[in-house]
Amino acid sequence: MRFTSWYSLSDAAQNILPSAKKISLYFLVTVFMLSVSMVASAQADSKIRVSGFVRDTAKTALGQVTVQEKGKNNSTMTQVDGSFSLTVDPASTLVFSFIGYASQEQAVGNQTVFSVILLQSNTDLGEVVVVGYDTKKKGSITGAVSTITAKDIDRVHGGATVSSALAGKIPGVTFRMPDGRPGASANIQIRNMGNVLYVIDGIQQDAGQFNNLAQNDIESISVLKDGAAAIYGVRAANGVVVVTTKKGRANTRNTINVDAYAGWQNWSRFVNVLDNSYDYMYYRADAEMNGQSQSTTITQAELDKYKAGTERGYQSFDWKDYIIQKNAPLTSVNVNVTGGTDKLTYYVSATRLDQNSVLGREFKFGRTNLQSNINATVAKGLRAGVSINGRIETRDNPGVPQADDYWLARFAILRNTPLERPYANDNPAYLNDIKHNETNWAYLNKTLGGKYKSEWRVLQTNMSLEYDIPGVQGLTLRGMYSYYIADHLLNNHEYTYSAYTYDPADQSYKATGGSSNPWREREQVKQINVTTQAQISYNKSFGQHTIGALVVAERIRNQRLRNWIHAVPSTNVLPLIYFSTADTYEDSDDRQARIGYIGKLSYSFANKYFVDLAGRRDASYLFAPENRVGYFPTVSAGWRITEENFMQKLLGPGSLLTELKIRASYGELGDDGDALGLPAYSYIEGYSYNQGVAILGGVPVVGSRDRGVPITNISWLTSSIADAGVDFTLLNGKISGSADYFYRKRDGLRGRRQDILVPNEIGYTLPDENLNSDAQYGYEGALSYNGQYGKIRYTVGANASYSRSKFLESYNPVFFNSWDQYRFSQEDRFTKTNWGYEVIGQFQTQEEINNYPVNIDNQGNRTLLPGDLIYRDINNDGKINEYDERPIGYGVGTQPNINFGFNLAVMFKGIDFHIDFSGASGYTWYQNWETKWAFQNDGNLNTIFTDRWHRENPFDVNSAWIKGKYPPNRFNQGGHRNYNNSNDFWAHNVTYLRARTIELGYSLPSSLLNRVHIQKARFYVNGFNLFSIDNLRQFGIDPEVVDENGLQFPQNKFVNVGVNLSF
Amino acid sequence: MKKILYIIVIALLTNSTACKKDSEFLDEPPTSILTNEQAFKDPAQVLSILADLYNRQLDFSTVESWTSMADFSETFPSENGQTNIVQRNSWGFGEWSTWDYNYIRDLNLFIERATAATTLSDADQKRFISEARFLRANYYFELVKRMGGVPIITESLLYDFNGDPSYLRSARAKESAVYDFILKEGDEIKDLLPANLSDKARASKGAVLAMQARAALYAGSIAKYGVSTPQVSLPGGEVGIPADAAAAYYTKALAAAQAIISGSAGPYALYKNKPDLSDNFANIFIDKGNNPESIFIEDYKLKSGKVHGFTQVNQPRFGAEEEEGGRLNPSLNLVQSFEKLDNTFAPFNTALYYTSQIDIFAGRDARLAGTVILPGTTFKSRAVDIWAGYQLADGSIVTGDDRGAQKTLPGQSNPVQVVGFDGPVSNKEFTAQSGFYLRKYLDPAAGSGSRGTGSELPFIRYRYAEVLLNAAEAAFELGQPAVAAGYMNQVRARAGLVIPLTAGEITFDRIVHERRAELSFEGHILFDKKRWRIAHIVWDGTKMTEADLLSNIGKATKRNTQPYGLWSYKLFDASSPNNGKWKYKIVLPGLVTGANRFQFGNYYSSIDDNIRSNNPKIVRQPNQ
Repeated sequence: MRFTSWYSLSDAAQNILPSAKKISLYFLVTVFMLSVSMVASAQADSKIRVSGFVRDTAKTALGQVTVQEKGKNNSTMTQVDGSFSLTVDPASTLVFSFIGYASQEQAVGNQTVFSVILLQSNTDLGEVVVVGYDTKKKGSITGAVSTITAKDIDRVHGGATVSSALAGKIPGVTFRMPDGRPGASANIQIRNMGNVLYVIDGIQQDAGQFNNLAQNDIESISVLKDGAAAIYGVRAANGVVVVTTKKGRANTRNTINVDAYAGWQNWSRFVNVLDNSYDYMYYRADAEMNGQSQSTTITQAELDKYKAGTERGYQSFDWKDYIIQKNAPLTSVNVNVTGGTDKLTYYVSATRLDQNSVLGREFKFGRTNLQSNINATVAKGLRAGVSINGRIETRDNPGVPQADDYWLARFAILRNTPLERPYANDNPAYLNDIKHNETNWAYLNKTLGGKYKSEWRVLQTNMSLEYDIPGVQGLTLRGMYSYYIADHLLNNHEYTYSAYTYDPADQSYKATGGSSNPWREREQVKQINVTTQAQISYNKSFGQHTIGALVVAERIRNQRLRNWIHAVPSTNVLPLIYFSTADTYEDSDDRQARIGYIGKLSYSFANKYFVDLAGRRDASYLFAPENRVGYFPTVSAGWRITEENFMQKLLGPGSLLTELKIRASYGELGDDGDALGLPAYSYIEGYSYNQGVAILGGVPVVGSRDRGVPITNISWLTSSIADAGVDFTLLNGKISGSADYFYRKRDGLRGRRQDILVPNEIGYTLPDENLNSDAQYGYEGALSYNGQYGKIRYTVGANASYSRSKFLESYNPVFFNSWDQYRFSQEDRFTKTNWGYEVIGQFQTQEEINNYPVNIDNQGNRTLLPGDLIYRDINNDGKINEYDERPIGYGVGTQPNINFGFNLAVMFKGIDFHIDFSGASGYTWYQNWETKWAFQNDGNLNTIFTDRWHRENPFDVNSAWIKGKYPPNRFNQGGHRNYNNSNDFWAHNVTYLRARTIELGYSLPSSLLNRVHIQKARFYVNGFNLFSIDNLRQFGIDPEVVDENGLQFPQNKFVNVGVNLSF
Repeated sequence: MKKILYIIVIALLTNSTACKKDSEFLDEPPTSILTNEQAFKDPAQVLSILADLYNRQLDFSTVESWTSMADFSETFPSENGQTNIVQRNSWGFGEWSTWDYNYIRDLNLFIERATAATTLSDADQKRFISEARFLRANYYFELVKRMGGVPIITESLLYDFNGDPSYLRSARAKESAVYDFILKEGDEIKDLLPANLSDKARASKGAVLAMQARAALYAGSIAKYGVSTPQVSLPGGEVGIPADAAAAYYTKALAAAQAIISGSAGPYALYKNKPDLSDNFANIFIDKGNNPESIFIEDYKLKSGKVHGFTQVNQPRFGAEEEEGGRLNPSLNLVQSFEKLDNTFAPFNTALYYTSQIDIFAGRDARLAGTVILPGTTFKSRAVDIWAGYQLADGSIVTGDDRGAQKTLPGQSNPVQVVGFDGPVSNKEFTAQSGFYLRKYLDPAAGSGSRGTGSELPFIRYRYAEVLLNAAEAAFELGQPAVAAGYMNQVRARAGLVIPLTAGEITFDRIVHERRAELSFEGHILFDKKRWRIAHIVWDGTKMTEADLLSNIGKATKRNTQPYGLWSYKLFDASSPNNGKWKYKIVLPGLVTGANRFQFGNYYSSIDDNIRSNNPKIVRQPNQ
């Protein structure tokens, strides 16, 4: 039977059973229920019963340790008190394994009682790591791979998404979380190489799917940083994050776990503004007097009235206090059931998370996750697995103007002055017309503003079959079919509204502002991704030789259907859209297809030498048919020096060095993604339809445009990554660590041949070719120590990484002159630099300004005052212009070049304490807009500008100047020379170290729990992001924000309390 | 059972190519691309390509680009982000440049492919090709207006990758040659296009003639007035037209205009549908159904995907349908230039107290109130609220720093409104900082000022009144002032200026003024001042005094470097007979710190370094 039939079979199944997916859920639940009731022990004949206790080095009982008869499907788990019993063959060996501890083997022989002490280990060499369609023991890994497991992930309660858990945890993973709104994610990159590929349970996924997994369902996250990622081929060129969800374990009793916590959130930091009208008017008068006209309409008499603050129109209003509601709640509850027989394992989990924001209780995020992983041995050597991941993700908030519905509320804090009040005559029935009513917080709610709801419904189903081919030991066939459907529904309705002015004369409220524009939109997206994989693998040991071989064929097809409709409803109260009220409709159907063939060979000798060879043949729909295919090889090797006899002799017994492995890898990966930036169908000639609409003859005619000269010569961008590293453990595993150096070169970035100058008048630009190259390189390392002091066990860990990018060369760059080359050449230069003026000081006196030889403001320095910035005249031509710019700062809005993390864990009896720090450096943040000049947008004053140069008496232009940090304020003059350019006064190279998780937990003693049949009960208090040590505090800016106006929704500080229960 | 499973597993794991070939799997058909064959098979698809080509027409000061209307001291830009327009002291040499040979290539490809198409009817084919040739000629007109002579490319070019692209290099044509090309193309296509066309968004005989009249007039005046700026020329004639060519161009302009006036291209006429002459003037830009005046338009339509937001960004801020508007504040410079009904020019009398705000503007050219929203008038049935404050008995002013601010007046107990909800408030964007808002192109329909709905008012590229003024100017330059007066008086009479100008009264100043009064904000001011070579005089970079402002109104070379405003105050003086009446004051808005300077290097926009290095035959513009 050929493969065709399998396809037709499944087609037929779909036709007959249109609701097969629904049914499969019921089926799985039924299977699951049955299996739970079937957990029965089948003991065998002439064997012996062994029992014992498992403890850790602190003599604390370890529950849930797997005790297995080596090489057989016979195992049990220890009870909470560490006890176990199992019936085994006397000739067998017992293997004790537990996550986070070094596995231990003990031969049975005559022994029937075992007392086992497991050593804790953060880098358990026996730990299994997922590396590309395959798993490997950590000790045999030859690539740069780092892993974190559930125990690291579970204690992070810093928001709604998985990425927030990665801060400072993995060397080489760069982290920045610029936005902290409900449901927000951090930006994650591997070695700053670009957007990462996420592979979840073997299937390529996007960041959204990764971030919205339930944290509790994750067993481990491996990060493949070098050629090891190559095995995932297309789209793996920037590194791969491999996620494995939790599975049930064979022969374990059914366990119900509950993890629930509740938290309170507050903004880490946000700019501060004046909160009373006297201050506002005082600073405003000061700023206006610094203007060119040196005049203000504000008088001292007026100021006195503001100071009194009693008369109508002279009172104060504190908008920040009004808008921000402290201690926004966050709750999460996860319940999972897991266990297994020798034939069936299961993990079924449900999680509900709700996150609010400090912007009142109407701006919120909620998510429900379901994860069901079931694996069964259906016949001898034949295993089947179904893994289902589903979620509903909701963002729900008032529907208000602007693309970002969270924007106006934040903007309002800066935009509204203390003179303005939310309600006309303070009467809550009338929204006050403050003339810029979109920032009136009293309007930004579901009653007046409107309603917005965005929902994602996602179902990921993986089905796999695995068959050990009889007769050939170690030969396994595996097939996987994965179907992913994501459904997005966005409904937004922004209402019409009126704002009122109170007229004290006749005590009336007149509608003087508002909007008569309703905005109703609906967007629907269906994303359907289908992945099929077929793989054959062979693993066998012959004496000291171990070989592995793997061949995989993979096809990925993605389809995205989207439509968007906009309408102008006639009333705020009817939410549906009708044909006659609609005015815009967009529709699209985009598809992608990729095919990969993968071959891999691994060989190891005596657990000492390791060599891996792999190759891929990739094909992508993006390229012209003749350029579709690319071939990409990888090679890696490792040497465990400490396994060598000569080394062991050299070191002698009881040596400091326990384990040392040197490894190196080189891989080439194909990339058809962002870095290439090739739009789909670039190779096709013709006309693109739907290029705007023209009204011809009174009738709308959809436009079409010539697609230009087709690009047929672009193919794969090749990313070559070389990595060299060491892994080591010292003092019997007490200290372990690793270090890596890497260099990635990308060839074939898009560029244009400049040596042939083709006239612009031909009307098209010559197609790009794969010409340019760049590099990303750096190093990283991690170190950890496990120690014990009396009954206190502790672990200390640290990691750091550095990564920078450089443009290497373009094809024959052309420059008009040497300045042009100096200023605009990229050749062999760091990327992500910025240019600006150098500030060499501030004018101290008017006299200094008058005599200053350089024309700073291009207006003869007439617009300058003491305190204003002095720019360096680099070329000494007496004026400041583009020729005086120098490179300043690092990347803006980019990932940090340097990332680091520290962690400390202390355990004492039932008490556990963790503290994690992460930090970063090597990026630049600019003060701009609201953080650069006073009264931007005629709004309130950012309080940083109270520390400014000013006259002793603001109303007297002859009074003495008093020094301050900032130049003299002007009233909303962003065009002033201090502000209208990029310079290093406003640029700040950021370094921060922030506390991530600080957690204190207490586990009730098992003696107490056994009585109530609870295996585990742990309570904890957890803080996240509680403080940060950095150089942006003075500006009221969270160190990770990107927006230069300081108005980005910052990260939150969290305080959580929670409980873990196992039954 | 086991067997079946075994079979399934084998099936699953067998190389999947068996089911669908790799190449088939990767060949995902596109969902929004037409092949060239599909595109030119069916007239509906050809029209779809034309639709895009129509949409890509370039013009100056359209309803989609208000900022260029805010320039040239005719207007104050009342948006915080655009204050640069009144704070800079000169224009960059790159301003107004265009070099869109991609558009020309697409037009050339269209003409070639439509010519080669075999399944189109003869009539369709001719019309389509002529339309594309019209668009091409019209774009070359935009090019020559801004850049002077440019390479004339009339077929699609393709580089052969043989390493020597020199065969693709064309030098700049003479400026006159580009005008000649435009006029010649017009001659060849005008009779292939329909006359008397009801669909004014597509090319017609009238549109071709109107383009020819304007282009020939431009060429003629560059030839004639270029004499006064000899430095604005290039030896190869890429910039500048010899003076002796003037008469021929003027003759051509007059002939093309007269071909329209005679009705040979259809029954075009001045729009006269409303009894109120100001409303009538405003309605030229509003009335789509029954408008004999418009010749060639860019059309918009509600609920079609093609609407514009001009009303949204420029509607009076008070009562606006959106929390914005009011960006264009016409300057006093422009407002006072509208004649009195006796055909004389005069500033406003600011010494008097007026009972009603509107009184000061009485007895002027009806186009004033048709172009500008004056204080004391209404928009969308809502009174605009433009006034700057109270003037007290001692002459001091009580005002507020926000729209509709309230203060307590001396001797009163409750606060009252002391400034209009439309301003003017210094530095307060969207308020009428010059004292005026723009009326031209504002759509009175409900919803036109909102982002969700927008406006469907057309943008008129060529209209009959301009044709008359073009004819008048050409006739004047050809020494036929009586003919010129005849055409000009038609336009003036419609504006309520019913005392005809005599042949002797037609002067260059009159010609210049009439175009300003009739065509302001329609994208003419820059190109008119350039072709008359008076731009460097009008915008000489010297700050204006109030005396400058008030003198020589109606003179073509009058300095116009800073937009002034006219603010009204209500007298608060119970003891005065004028109590409650209006007093006007001339102001220079506080944000106006620069003065427009038009340099000789601005007459022709610079050609980018890249363009010149890619084609060394392209010579540099003069004076840059």
